[in-house]
Amino acid sequence: MKIKSGFVVREVAGQTIVVALGEATKIFNGMIRLNETGRIIWDMLSVGSEKADIVRRITEEYDIDEKTVQADVDAFINTLQGANILE
Amino acid sequence: MLYIKIADLKIRIENKYNYVRALCKDYIIDECEDYDISVSVSDKEIDDEISVAEVAVSRGYAEGVCVYRNICYQLPVKFNSYLLHSALIEYEGKGYAFAAKSGTGKSTHIAIWQRVFGDKVRIINGDKPIVRYLDGEFIAYGTPWCGKEGFAVNDSVPLRALCFIERSPTNSIERIPASDAVLRVFQQILTPRDAATLDALFPLLDKTLMQVPCYLLKCNMDDEAATVAYNGMNNDN
Repeated sequence: MKIKSGFVVREVAGQTIVVALGEATKIFNGMIRLNETGRIIWDMLSVGSEKADIVRRITEEYDIDEKTVQADVDAFINTLQGANILE
Repeated sequence: MLYIKIADLKIRIENKYNYVRALCKDYIIDECEDYDISVSVSDKEIDDEISVAEVAVSRGYAEGVCVYRNICYQLPVKFNSYLLHSALIEYEGKGYAFAAKSGTGKSTHIAIWQRVFGDKVRIINGDKPIVRYLDGEFIAYGTPWCGKEGFAVNDSVPLRALCFIERSPTNSIERIPASDAVLRVFQQILTPRDAATLDALFPLLDKTLMQVPCYLLKCNMDDEAATVAYNGMNNDN
């Protein structure tokens, strides 16, 4: 699972924002705001990390139970899949 | 060929249709060599614009839309400026930009300002002003492109407040932090299509939101909406 090419992450006024550029604007036209964990998931998906690794990292870093993290990561990935952002 | 001046920029337009010339009549300047921006629109762009338009539009009208978009795409990188989809008014020397989802009632709200405060409220642009960062200050400029009501004055005003409007049964206003405003402002700009534009525009928006106070106005269509808005945007400076 990996984020398609053409998406960039920027910081504006304290917010983390994803924008599609070039060809990617044809599949996604708009902006996505990421919270702290969203940023971690996004960055890991950008380099093609496995879902299990993403869940493990967040579980360790934030001291949240794995089940909750699993559900959140699934929801995030589903949203990206729904928007056709993953390859 | 047509030469106009908007936002203190000289622009050369290679138009195919007369619509653009008529639209820009108050902004026309003499032919010049030292123009800042040059735009032309291809037949394909016009075809595409017609196919996405919500109502039937003429080729000339569609060309006008494309001309402005092509101008606006060049603004962030070269001229520290950007299109801000909003209704811009001037009152007591201050520029107030009202932004909202379309259909919320920006035009209605600025009409209330005129009803309450009279002729001293000038509508500079009803829909698509340009904001430019010049000598440490944000200036908002009128342009020929102004929405269906046709409110357009060829003038500029220092931008003193950015006010997002939501409909509500009662009237209230609050100052909002830049982090909240930035998500709202994104709805009102031309989304950049390339990295250079993005990396020019985002710092510019950041600076705008740090420098220009932002507000969230929840309002109805009563006269009180304008007084609440005015008082809210003038009691802390």
